[in-house]
Amino acid sequence: MLGRRSWIGVGTIATLLAAWFVLTTMTGIVSPARFPAPGEFWTSLRQISVRGYAGGQLLTHALHSLKLVAMGFMVAILTGVPLGLWMGWSRKAEAAINPVFLIIRPIPPLAWIPLAILWLGLGDAAKIMVIWFSAFVPSVINSFAGVRNIDKPIIEAARMLGTPRWRLVSEVIAPAASPMIFTGLRLSLQAAWTTLVAAELVGALVGIGFILNMAQQDLYPGMILVGMVVVGLLGWATTWLLGLAEKRALSWNMAARD
Amino acid sequence: MGSIRFDKVDKVFGPKAGGVKALDNINLEIGEKEFVAIVGPSGCGKTTCLRMVAGFEAPSAGVVSVSGKPVTAPGPDRAVVFQQFALFPWKSVRENIELGLRNKNLPAGERADLVASALKLMNLETHAEAFPHQLSGGMQQRVAIARAYVLDPDVLLMDEPFGALDAQTRVVMQEELVRLARVNPRTVLFITHAVEEAVYLADRVAIMTRRPGRIKQVLDVRKIRQAENWDKHPRIEDVMDLESFVHLRTQIWKSLREEKSANVI
Repeated sequence: MLGRRSWIGVGTIATLLAAWFVLTTMTGIVSPARFPAPGEFWTSLRQISVRGYAGGQLLTHALHSLKLVAMGFMVAILTGVPLGLWMGWSRKAEAAINPVFLIIRPIPPLAWIPLAILWLGLGDAAKIMVIWFSAFVPSVINSFAGVRNIDKPIIEAARMLGTPRWRLVSEVIAPAASPMIFTGLRLSLQAAWTTLVAAELVGALVGIGFILNMAQQDLYPGMILVGMVVVGLLGWATTWLLGLAEKRALSWNMAARD
Repeated sequence: MGSIRFDKVDKVFGPKAGGVKALDNINLEIGEKEFVAIVGPSGCGKTTCLRMVAGFEAPSAGVVSVSGKPVTAPGPDRAVVFQQFALFPWKSVRENIELGLRNKNLPAGERADLVASALKLMNLETHAEAFPHQLSGGMQQRVAIARAYVLDPDVLLMDEPFGALDAQTRVVMQEELVRLARVNPRTVLFITHAVEEAVYLADRVAIMTRRPGRIKQVLDVRKIRQAENWDKHPRIEDVMDLESFVHLRTQIWKSLREEKSANVI
């Protein structure tokens, strides 16, 4: 079951929850106007789960956000990883693409929102585009670095064995770079969630960002906290799933890491 | 098939003018099924010689040819065994050995037979499904040698293959290589800085000067080995004890030492 280190983590979370209860409900050191008490959080959670809030139940909002993140993330890794691998492998590709990349990279993903809305309207497509842009960068950079850090003899061994180009990419370069690629995927996923909430704050009709937006306008701290916690949990769950996939894909690498 | 020829080979690293001259007028012929070791002080360019035969580097002047054809690119006719093994860690032992055969588009049945015999040759049968990280350094280098041998290459290029192994494993692998050379002789270019290893394994030993590397002397070990009947001793330490062995080793050692002291002055 849970290992020793996991129990320490559970202990920390339990302590924080207890402190929350003590500081708000028990002693009132933190006033409910500044930070909602556990009771208020629970009431808000029940309200949105059963009766709904901001035009839908929690599940509807959460699934919608999850869908946007999943789509933006998928598009980002399907474009970012191959581009990064290509730039890592071909000095010419790097020379051609890197200057553009260096200029685009410092632009915050959220700065694309106005343009995305202008191009794609207020619907999901614009949000997916913004999530894609933010999740794209870590995938490219880490895949690129992954290829550049491959031990030279590994590539030389593959060439000595007469490995044709496509097999060199699929059976040597991609697996050799895969520990770094997965690091990129994890950062991309984080970036996708971060950007999602911001993208939904602008012109959404459903989703967790929309919950946060409505709760802010309603001066409803309990519901704001619900939205935040849900994003946190969804982010944690998707990262955990990605971790499982990584463990499966990199089983050959695990001994070296521990 | 399987001769190697260095013909007036120079190698300069860096810009054409003002670069570092690593090799200067290398001339060497290695006959078919001959085992030649190159020894030399570190940085003398001996590994560069091997890398040019492998096709990883091109000569700055002169020609490196294998079986009469100039080398242009790496290929499975010139199998390389690297000092750091260079196995694919995500592939099992079997998959590592099989990759070169798949690249040759051999049918699955034939591949399985060849892999099985390579595993047997290197005593790896019980480790076929293991991953490299589960094996000791000596075992990993056995896999790398099996991966090279299974290609049935014209020449075998070994770049300090036992340099990363501990002393005991090293001795076992040296004996193993002698056994292999008897069962399945190949043209071998063997790079090492260990003089004893070179004398024990090679038919001829080429001694290089310090940078820019030149071939200073080529010693024929074969004649002495046959005359003194080294091969009747199954163990390496018994061969290394023979007067003829010690004499040769000392001769090479002195020659190398001149290079090192010249380097200091």
